[in-house]
Amino acid sequence: METATLTPTPTLSVRALVAAYEPGLPIVRGVDLSVSSGEIVTVLGPNGAGKSTFVKALAGLVPIEGGTVNFCGDDITTIPAHRRVGAGLAFVPQTENIFATLTIAENLKIAATALPHRERKAAIEEVMARFPDLGGRPTETAGRLSGGQRQMLAVGRALITRPRVLMLDEPSAGLSPKLVGEVFARLKEIAADGVAVLLVEQNVRAALEVADRAVVLAEGVVRRDMDAKALAQSDDLGALFLGAAPEAA
Amino acid sequence: MNPQAIIDGLVAGSMIGLGAIGVTLTYSILRFANFAHGEFVTGGAYLTLVLLTALSAVLGTAPLSPFSVSLALVLAFGGALVLTGGVALTLDAILFRPLRRRGGTIIIIVIASFGASLALRSLIEFVFTATPQYFSRELQIAAPIGGGMRATPDQLLVLAITALLVAAVHLLLTRTDAGRAMRAVAENPALARISGIDVEGVVRLTFMIGGALACAAGVAAGLLVQIRPTMGFDLLLPLFAAAILGGIGSVPGAVLGGLLVGLCEALAAQTVGAEWRAAVSFAVLVAVLALRPRGLFGRR
Repeated sequence: METATLTPTPTLSVRALVAAYEPGLPIVRGVDLSVSSGEIVTVLGPNGAGKSTFVKALAGLVPIEGGTVNFCGDDITTIPAHRRVGAGLAFVPQTENIFATLTIAENLKIAATALPHRERKAAIEEVMARFPDLGGRPTETAGRLSGGQRQMLAVGRALITRPRVLMLDEPSAGLSPKLVGEVFARLKEIAADGVAVLLVEQNVRAALEVADRAVVLAEGVVRRDMDAKALAQSDDLGALFLGAAPEAA
Repeated sequence: MNPQAIIDGLVAGSMIGLGAIGVTLTYSILRFANFAHGEFVTGGAYLTLVLLTALSAVLGTAPLSPFSVSLALVLAFGGALVLTGGVALTLDAILFRPLRRRGGTIIIIVIASFGASLALRSLIEFVFTATPQYFSRELQIAAPIGGGMRATPDQLLVLAITALLVAAVHLLLTRTDAGRAMRAVAENPALARISGIDVEGVVRLTFMIGGALACAAGVAAGLLVQIRPTMGFDLLLPLFAAAILGGIGSVPGAVLGGLLVGLCEALAAQTVGAEWRAAVSFAVLVAVLALRPRGLFGRR
C-alpha cells in the first residue's frame, strides 16, 4: 500500500476497524485511517465500498465489531454517539441531516445543548456569522430551505460544538457545481481553523481538489492511502473505482 | 340539538385529550402504540385515592368551596402526578427498554404493552376490587353558564386544569432544551444522537410526562364520574382516536382530537342513545384513517 506521510499526532486514529449492521456480516473490514488537525482527508471508493458505513461507525451510528477508534488520545470505540459529539467529533450525514420541522434557530440550539450553557449563545452567533444565509432568518422552518442552504445548516449544526474532527458524508450530493464549490470552499476555511476534516465523497475530482490526502476503500478495505494530488494524477484512478486495480504494494 | 351536549362533550373531551397527549408523544418518539397507557390513567386515579386517604387523616376532607375537591385531594393529585410518571418510567425500564436493546420489533413491543396492560389492570382490580370508588361524596349542582348550558364547578375546574396542563406541555416542547430534544428525537432519532442528544434520556422524560398527564386524565375522570379498574381501558379507544385524529406527534392536535371525540360522543349520546357512545371513537378512527391518515396536524 502506498502510504502518505502522517502527522505525528493524529486527532482521529482508526485501527483495524470492523463495522457491521448485522452481527457477523461486516461491511467495513479492518480499516486503518488517521486525520490530523487542519488536514482534509477524503474517503473515496465505488458504490458499496463501505464509505458511509465507515463514517457512521465512527459517529457511533453503526455497531463496531472490532478495532479501535482513538480520538485525541482517548479510546472512544464503545462510547455512545451523543457523547462523541460532546467530545468534539461531529458528523454531517448525507441525507436527512437537518430537523426539517424545526426552525433554523432550533436546529442550532439543539446542537448547542452539547456545550456548557454559557457558551451556547456565542457558538450559535459564530455559526450564524459564518453562514449569513442562515443568520438572516432564524425563525424559518428548516424544511423550506434550498438544497445548498440545508447543507450549510447541516454543516453549521455540526460546527456549533466547535469540533476537533468534522466528518461529512457526501456533502456535494444533489448540489449544483457552483454550490459544491461553495461548500468545499467552506470546508477549506474550517480546516484552516485547525479542524480535522474527514470527507466521504462520490464526486472524486472535486474531493481530490480540496483534500490533502485520499483514502480509497473497496469492499470494506483500504486500497490506497496517499497524497490527494498524487492520486488525482494516478493512472489507475479509474480502475480503482471499477474495482480492477490491484492491491497496493 | 340541546346545547348541553357541547359542555358535556368538552368536559369528556378534555379528559380524553389529556390522555391522548401521552399516547401521541410515546407514539411519535418510540414509534409504538402503548396499550398500557390506559392503565397509567387508572393507576393515576388509584394512586391519588391512596394518597388522598392518607392525607385526609391529617388534613381532613373539607371541600374547597365551590368545588368538591379538598386540600388533601389537591396535594394527593400533585403526589400522584409524580408517582404515575415513576410507574411509567419503571414499566419502560423493566419491559420496553430491554426489548429495545435486544432489537425487538415494533409488533413485539406493542404485544408486550398489551400484556402489561392486562397485568396492571388485574393487579389494580386485585388490590382495590372492582367496586367503584369516589374522591368525594360532595353533591355538585350544575349552574347555568350561558347559551342554555349548565356545568358543575368541578367540570369547569377540569376544563381549566386541562388548559393549564396543555399550555405547560406546549411551552415545554417549544421553549426548553428538553422539549426541543423531544421534537428532534420524534423527527429523526439518529440525527438527534449525533446532535448530542441522549435519546434514552428523552424516552425516559416522555414516559414521565405521558404518565403524569394520564394521571391527570384519571383524576379528572374519577372526580367527574367514578374510579374503576377498567376506567383507563374504557378510555383507550377514544385516546387513540384522538391522537390519530389530531395527527401523531402533535400535542395541540391530541387535545383538539380529544375535544372533537368528546363532542361527537356527547352528540351521539343525545341523538342516537348513550349505548352508541363507545362506537363513536371507533367510527372517528376509521374515518380518519380512511380520509386523512396523517390527521389534522400530523406530518406527511
